[in-house]
Amino acid sequence: MQTGTKISALAHGLLLGWAFLGGVFETDPLPFEVQDVSVISAEDFALMTGRSRTPEIDAAPSEPEPPLSNATPEVTAEPDSPPVRSRPEAAPEPVPEPLPETLPEPAPPAPVAQPDPQPAPVPPETETAAVVPAPPAPPQRPSERIAPEPVAPPPPEARPDPVEREEVAPEQQADSTREAQEASAPEEAATEIVTEAEERAVLAPTRSPRPAPRPARPAAPAPRAPDPARTEDAVAAALSEALAGAQARPATAAPSGPPLSAGEKEALRVAVSSCWNVGSLSSAALATTVVVAVSLTQDGKPQMETIRMVSSSGGSEASAKQAFEAARRAIIRCGARGFALPAEKFDRWRDIEMTFNPERMRIK
Amino acid sequence: MKRFLLSFLLGWAIVAHSAMAQDGGPLRIEITEGVIEPMPFAVPDFVPDRPNAGDVAGQIARVIAADLSGTGLFREIPAQAHIGRVSDFSAPVRFADWKAINAQALITGAVSTSGNRVTVRFRVWDVFSGAELGNGLQFAGDRDGWRRMAHKVADAVYSRITGEGGYFDSRVVFVSESGPKNDRKKRLAIMDYDGANVQYLTDSSAIVLAPRFSPTGDRVLYTSFETGFPRIYVLDVGSVRRRILETREGTMSFAPRFAPDGQTVVFSIEQGGNTDIYSMDIASGGTTRLTSAPSIETGPSLSPDGRQMVFESDRSGTQQLYVMPSGGGSATRISFGQGRYGTPVWSPRGDLIAFTKQNKGRFHIGVMRTDGSEERLLTASFLDEGPTWAPNGRVIMFTRETKGAQGQATLYSVDITGRNLRPVRTPGGASDPSWSPLQN
Repeated sequence: MQTGTKISALAHGLLLGWAFLGGVFETDPLPFEVQDVSVISAEDFALMTGRSRTPEIDAAPSEPEPPLSNATPEVTAEPDSPPVRSRPEAAPEPVPEPLPETLPEPAPPAPVAQPDPQPAPVPPETETAAVVPAPPAPPQRPSERIAPEPVAPPPPEARPDPVEREEVAPEQQADSTREAQEASAPEEAATEIVTEAEERAVLAPTRSPRPAPRPARPAAPAPRAPDPARTEDAVAAALSEALAGAQARPATAAPSGPPLSAGEKEALRVAVSSCWNVGSLSSAALATTVVVAVSLTQDGKPQMETIRMVSSSGGSEASAKQAFEAARRAIIRCGARGFALPAEKFDRWRDIEMTFNPERMRIK
Repeated sequence: MKRFLLSFLLGWAIVAHSAMAQDGGPLRIEITEGVIEPMPFAVPDFVPDRPNAGDVAGQIARVIAADLSGTGLFREIPAQAHIGRVSDFSAPVRFADWKAINAQALITGAVSTSGNRVTVRFRVWDVFSGAELGNGLQFAGDRDGWRRMAHKVADAVYSRITGEGGYFDSRVVFVSESGPKNDRKKRLAIMDYDGANVQYLTDSSAIVLAPRFSPTGDRVLYTSFETGFPRIYVLDVGSVRRRILETREGTMSFAPRFAPDGQTVVFSIEQGGNTDIYSMDIASGGTTRLTSAPSIETGPSLSPDGRQMVFESDRSGTQQLYVMPSGGGSATRISFGQGRYGTPVWSPRGDLIAFTKQNKGRFHIGVMRTDGSEERLLTASFLDEGPTWAPNGRVIMFTRETKGAQGQATLYSVDITGRNLRPVRTPGGASDPSWSPLQN
């Protein structure tokens, strides 16, 4: 290599090194505004809205009682002490701040050549932005059907069907090519069971509690020096776990092609949900989660003989059986016309495992 | 350099693992939201083995359909909508016919008669999976007992579909009322849970109150003013014989209820202006005082395991619910909502306590956990009171009284979710229901 070339390379290297290390390419961070936010707790919000709440009950007994004789059980003859675990008292009515009295109009001050008084120091106003949950939904009307989304009463002439269609009457003279069809609409549904006692519940807020004070700023965690030995151990463990997991899987039958998008999975989930009727399940079955495997045909229809319970949790064998039967009915009913799945991704949805978790349905 | 290589290997391994996990396994989704709606079912008339059994075969099918529909968990598809016909109990079911009308469950049956004997056979089918739920079953009995056989079939169907016990083959004892409010005649009556087969156990010469079934359903406790003072009686349902439970002279005893062992009764005695709870061994007559507060303690009800007792007391100044050991001892208040709470009844499942609540001029029937949590009001009216549990702990029956001098007491039932509120058919007015266990 020529001496000139070496000098040129060295000079370029030095120049690039100076550019990277000297911060030539670094820019100032964009302005970023930070604002403190306080979150209203569920209890505060319940107080604010005035809704009745059930009391929190501790496991421990409320008040100690003297030991009792064996012959005749004695019970304290005194009226019991005020309940310790009573529901949180409603916030006291806010005492209005004394309004400033109206003072007579001051006479125009005589022009006195005096220095302006120094204004009293005003403490900086604390800005607290409260994140208020969405306002409570208006009282629902009782409905025989409880579904994830509320549905208004369908027209009286409409046939119950998950898909809403308008009626098309056959017209002899019309040029329209639309086929005659019967009007259909989804059945009326509410999202929660409304009891007779709740029908007239007033959910509008009746009082507004004072905003909570700004929470103390958490102390910044002290920077920890990395432990090289520990890091290497963790890396080695994760490496071995990942490799073991990869080797444990059979290398055969790996479907090809792009996976299902989140929207396609969601459409399948919604389709099965609309047929998963837990209304006739026992409370034990409603506490049981079952994983059900099913294989689909290419037109998206479930193969009945492949529907099986993979596992269950949270209940007895009998309750798992009931929960599985409800899940199986949902798959068969809603899959009778074939689930709407992309045919080009058949390899991806040929075998499905559906976890039916009724936890959220127990509180409807 | 070593660290760089380790990071590279780790990244490659994670990518490879996730790719293989995505590729090799089935598609996994989680369903957390479903629907709650009555399950459509079909009960075609049962197949009679001979023409003269046709009537009873049809009646049995109607009672089964009414039982299941009455729960609110099922909806019958009327016979007019049926496409398929069942003319042979042993013939294969044409599921396509029942799928077409969206029947999710199908009940087929046959009735055979021999003299005064009736035999009912039935099967339950899951229409969409084309499988039978459980095995076929048959009941036999006298012709007069066809309603009970229908109730038993309905209990079996309910149990196979829901996984919990039924309550159709049970009875209710109640106070039958007639006349205006200022001159009301009351007498004890007993009926099937659905209001059929009403029989009267006492005449209306004395006021009777608060009948309560024994755990075996063969005896009834009730309070009568026959002697001028309220006294507790035990009545044998089969023989309609009764005897008084002896308590101290000059005291008023009321609000009785059997303990789960059926041999002990808990009740209240008013003496000297103070009311406390006592227990009595029915065989020996020995009594034990369970509370001794200067306040009013009454309405005791024991848990199914017999270890705890819930009762109402005004020791805090207002009427509230308390739980204490069944032998007496420290009582823990469990009701803390607004208003007054009374008439607590422990569920046969042991998980809930039903109660009457009075708040802002209205009465409610509600349920709460045994520690007082998760209170839920199920009803609201001018006057609702006196809940009693169905044998399976899923349904509550209670008294609803309307306003005014002509107001009448009626029995209502409601599911513990607050759904399916409906009146119970009785001849005339009715109050103070007590639900029996399932009959044998």
